[in-house]
Amino acid sequence: MANDLVSEADNAVAREMGLLSEQAIERRLEAVGLESDDLARIARAREPILSHIEEYTAAFFDYLGELDEAREFMRNRDAVEQARRLKLQHLVAMVGGQYGSEYAQQRIKLGRLYSRAGLEMRLFLGAFHDLLSRMGSTLLANATAGGEAFEDFMSLNKVAFFDIGIIVDVMVFERERVISRQQEAIRELTTPVLQIRDRLLMLPIIGTIDTHRARMLTEGLLHAIRANRAKVVVMDVTGVSAVDTKVANHLLQTVAASRLMGATVIVTGLSAEVSQTLVNLGVDLAGLQTIGDLQGGIEEAERLIGYQVSRVEQRIPSPSLSSQA
Amino acid sequence: MSVPILKLGDVLIASIQLEQTDAELLALRDRLTGQVGDARAQGVIIDVSALDVMDSFATRTLRAIAYSSRLRGAHTVVVGISPEVAFSMVQLGLELGAVSTALDLDDALAQIEEHRRSEHRRA
Repeated sequence: MANDLVSEADNAVAREMGLLSEQAIERRLEAVGLESDDLARIARAREPILSHIEEYTAAFFDYLGELDEAREFMRNRDAVEQARRLKLQHLVAMVGGQYGSEYAQQRIKLGRLYSRAGLEMRLFLGAFHDLLSRMGSTLLANATAGGEAFEDFMSLNKVAFFDIGIIVDVMVFERERVISRQQEAIRELTTPVLQIRDRLLMLPIIGTIDTHRARMLTEGLLHAIRANRAKVVVMDVTGVSAVDTKVANHLLQTVAASRLMGATVIVTGLSAEVSQTLVNLGVDLAGLQTIGDLQGGIEEAERLIGYQVSRVEQRIPSPSLSSQA
Repeated sequence: MSVPILKLGDVLIASIQLEQTDAELLALRDRLTGQVGDARAQGVIIDVSALDVMDSFATRTLRAIAYSSRLRGAHTVVVGISPEVAFSMVQLGLELGAVSTALDLDDALAQIEEHRRSEHRRA
């Protein structure tokens, strides 16, 4: 049963989301309008619900089982088994009347399990709604007289929405975490500064440039200029598809900063669309040395440093000859 | 502490080792422009590699030194702006205008040599 204990990772998520404090839970309970009257009604609904929890749990997973989109999740037997146990605990706790941090942590655990196993939020919501309506039917069937059963159910509903609130937040949080981890990975990948000759660097820029990336790019370039004692930098923007005023200004800043360090920057590969956008935006590119393509840029840079590249003779045997030999 | 000005051939080298107050920067400006004439210098090199901060006043003063030395016949090169300083200067919109910059002393001397040769050609 160690599996079912709240793990360190669950705790970490709860901490990061600010869900561990009693006040946070208090506020969430307030948000769904749970009051002492509700607790009394839930206590009354307790007996009939508890006698059916096995059935509810089975229904919840049967519901998911019938959805095509949930097949992936249902195939993950370990996860489903664990989810089943947690769901059972959940239903017991749901009518237990104790909605403190322990209760919230159990919800977080279940939410993380769902998001790890790839259960879509809408599918979870559908199945949970089905489960709730079953609870409602039980309560109404057990009702003696008057509208009491409906009120009991509505009180229970408040707890249910408290649960949904936490689970949805956890699932969103987990998803955001994945996204930010991927962004970090992309960032690390995308700012190579390459030395192609002594004191000549090349900076190929690919993809979109935002403020953060422009900053990383500039910093990386400036340090590379110092480390390689670069005199000329060829900045190739062939891989930049879209440019706006902000991006243009970032590029200008990079160029100006490099110049302060004594390096000349040549910008190459401005596409027809990009150059037209720049002109239409009215970005002042007077301080920019631009050359059509990367080859031209490198040739110009070599000339600036004082290299003279010339072809000596053809060294590569032509393919047809070598195959005959 | 006032900045020492070294003479190497016909090049003056001022290496700023400590953060300078505005008044000290102005004094450096006056001494440098004065010595350009006295030493008949062809080049002035200002080394700022020890500086962690470059504010608008320092930038303006460097510009002033370069422009007035130019009028007296010397080419000025600012040397050793660190990556951090370069980045913050650009962020603050500080510009050195037409002042030349170089990565290190070697480069600066080469630049002055280059400048001298082009002057000769013109003459």
